[in-house]
Amino acid sequence: MDIYLPIAEVSVNWPLLVLLGATVGFVSGLFGIGGGFLMAPILIFLGIPPAVAVASQASHVVASSTSGVISYTSQKAVDYRIGGVMAFGGVVGALLGVELFRYLRLLGQADMAVAVSYLLFLGVIGTLMLYESLGQILRRVRGEVLPHKERRRPLWLYGLPLKMRFPRSGLYISAIPPFALGAFAGVLSAIMGVGGGFILVPAMLYVLRMRAGVVVGTSLFQIIIVTAMTTILQAGRNQTVDIVLSTLLLVGGVVGAQYGARLSGRFRPDVLRAVLGLIVLLVGIQMGLELFVRPSDLFAFAPGVPE
Amino acid sequence: MQALPPPPPAIVAPAPERSVGTVGQVRVASAMTDARVMIDSSFRGASIVVYGAVFNPTERPADVVVVVRGPDGPVRLVKKTRNMGFWLNSRPVLFEGAPGFYMTASTRPLSDIADFGQLRRLGVGVDHLRIKAPQESRAVTRYGVRDVVVSRLGEDYLDYRRAVIRLREAAALYNTDPDGVEFVDTGLFRAELDLPAVAPTGQYFAEVWLFQDGEPVSVSNLTLTVEKGGLERDIYEFAHRRPWSYGVLTVLLAALMGWGASRLFRRD
Repeated sequence: MDIYLPIAEVSVNWPLLVLLGATVGFVSGLFGIGGGFLMAPILIFLGIPPAVAVASQASHVVASSTSGVISYTSQKAVDYRIGGVMAFGGVVGALLGVELFRYLRLLGQADMAVAVSYLLFLGVIGTLMLYESLGQILRRVRGEVLPHKERRRPLWLYGLPLKMRFPRSGLYISAIPPFALGAFAGVLSAIMGVGGGFILVPAMLYVLRMRAGVVVGTSLFQIIIVTAMTTILQAGRNQTVDIVLSTLLLVGGVVGAQYGARLSGRFRPDVLRAVLGLIVLLVGIQMGLELFVRPSDLFAFAPGVPE
Repeated sequence: MQALPPPPPAIVAPAPERSVGTVGQVRVASAMTDARVMIDSSFRGASIVVYGAVFNPTERPADVVVVVRGPDGPVRLVKKTRNMGFWLNSRPVLFEGAPGFYMTASTRPLSDIADFGQLRRLGVGVDHLRIKAPQESRAVTRYGVRDVVVSRLGEDYLDYRRAVIRLREAAALYNTDPDGVEFVDTGLFRAELDLPAVAPTGQYFAEVWLFQDGEPVSVSNLTLTVEKGGLERDIYEFAHRRPWSYGVLTVLLAALMGWGASRLFRRD
């Protein structure tokens, strides 16, 4: 049941990969996320070289997001205008990120950069999500009334030039913040192999204050463009995309995502967010642990020897 | 009356083929069960048998040592050091060439077969492996990265060298088997060569040494080719020769599958 992966140059159990794709796809459908942050660490754990894992699973994010965007488009829940601005930023960010990752690999610091990014971003986002959703659950259980949310945007959003109208999101703001947000997600996509949904969604909700109904669909649209770009760049610059690996993950992933999406309606959103927050936090801690624990061998091979 | 011929030996060894010039000479001959290993989708490593015969008309015992070297390649190594509570990587150290695969199999531990100097001279045994590093220490700009140490590292050099061997041994790429050569009959030996799935592709060289009284008396050379075959090679070459088209194809495939799944499940 083992299959030899031509680019990763390792032999792995293929039903396990399909199952992994299905599980991550299920989680991504359930929570409406790309699921990249979960996939890359597991692939690395299975013995796939980290650079190949990060690059190959970006295409898994493309597939699961594509089916998501199709269903959101039919509900008119995608703002292509602001999504386009963010995607443009994302492409620029991905270009920078792939070059940065290439440079870090040459320096022998790629694995450390991955560990720090996971610990920092997943740790912070996971903690915030858990805190916010647990508070909400607690208030619901006690029967308290939700406090009225402040609907004001940060003032600096209005001071910037290049204003654009985004009717579907109910915004008239400068194009710079969405562009910068997209660029940031693009860099993360190249380094962590994630779509960046876990950063984009909260930022679009709480910083840009977009209309809640279009946030997830629009972030998925931006994620497709960015992860597609990342995959092409990783293949072109680093030759680290394994098409066999990504296809196996996809087969399970697209099916799992559909079942996950169907099931998500049965749970309360705050419970889902609490569970997701916990998963995000645990993955961040797990990935960051290598910075603090004494390694079993002080020496390690640094990948990325140029030909 | 003539004297009776001497009694025959207890075990009659098959008479070796004698050609001109080899009569009475101590010699080793060997072959492999496969000269070519194809890596296909079901590749999980390969096991090859190196076998051969020892012609030893003398009374002195002889030892067989099988050495297999994989293709050389550059190796970069980092050392993790603790800085303010964090384990961080040092600057990578580049070794310009280390065999991607190395194994020895012998009839006895190598140190019993020949002395240190002899093994060092022949490059037999992981301790005597030639890992190419430039002679003097210097920091240079390589591949756009500044301050890469391309060098011997003074005292640390041995630590790094040992780490290369240790890490490769952990991946089953380097192996030392002191009882790996087995005599199946008088003068007839076999040794197993286990290639792990991560073994590099390329040309492998095998040497079968015959030692007598700590001196090499005969050697037989063999080659082995490990290459990707079939679809694996096609994909690998596509990914390296036309990387951009390969990337676009991967993305299109992913988008198509995402779209297909959403169509398929909507009909349900």
